Amino acid sequence: MYADLTFEQVVRDHQEMVFRTLLRLTGSREHLDDLAQDVFLRLYRALPSFRGDALITTYLYRIAVNVAQDEWKRRRKDRDTHTSLSDETSGWEDRLPHPDRNAEQQLEEREFQEAVEGQLQRLSHIERSIIVLYHQEERTYEQIAYALGMPIGTVRTHLHRGRKKLREALQPRQTHERNATCTMNR
Amino acid sequence: MHDEPLNPNNLSPAAIEQEQLDARIVRALETTPKPMVPPDFAARLGSRLPAQRPESLTPTHYGRNATLLGIVAAFVALLAVALHTTAGVAVGFVESLLLAEFIALTVWLTVRRQSLR
Repeated sequence: MYADLTFEQVVRDHQEMVFRTLLRLTGSREHLDDLAQDVFLRLYRALPSFRGDALITTYLYRIAVNVAQDEWKRRRKDRDTHTSLSDETSGWEDRLPHPDRNAEQQLEEREFQEAVEGQLQRLSHIERSIIVLYHQEERTYEQIAYALGMPIGTVRTHLHRGRKKLREALQPRQTHERNATCTMNR
Repeated sequence: MHDEPLNPNNLSPAAIEQEQLDARIVRALETTPKPMVPPDFAARLGSRLPAQRPESLTPTHYGRNATLLGIVAAFVALLAVALHTTAGVAVGFVESLLLAEFIALTVWLTVRRQSLR
């Protein structure tokens, strides 16, 4: 299946997936390039033990999750202020316009997106990883369980718990928005 | 004014709001970020790779091929022994061994292929 693939081709085929997964998992563009390099270097070193019974993608997800976890630990040590996804300097959501909505709705959605990103970073590493793999990368429970080396039931539990935390954290915002809209309409 | 639920599914306003919030969260989570991948990323990484040459990305099938060869060889040998007219104890023993090898290899290969699916 992987016949005649050079490592550089593998990198080219998967680099976008690795970058976006790392971006969501770390919540920062800072060191993204270095982290992605780390992911591929770890893959390169792991290739001798690669038996071909798993997809490279699954392997890469596992490595990306580990690299992101290491990055979180490093940040915790440094205690440096880092650029959040919701900071002005990053804001990848800015490039996702909704052409069919008016400016106010767009702004509202963008702010909500930023709030979700912010809350995502408050979840535990494992909850965040599972949510990103499930919702963003559209992996199945089985694939996530395989990539993270945990039972499917545990994946479901973490996913449910993570979404519940997000919901609880974002509920006041939704209520506030609704109240504001009602006040404006009066 | 009657206190009738506005929703045909008899959902309370709180439940409707909850559903809307869930949908918004899922929509936000499913919005894929588009990070800028440096155009020279793969080439740059290629130049940084350690000297160690990685194993091939192509899964090897030496074991499976050897098993297939063994099955074919056992089958041919079985035919040869069966055609042998002077059947003695030694020939019968060899025939039994070959038959056992043939069956064992076939079963092993079948089970392994099913487990790899």
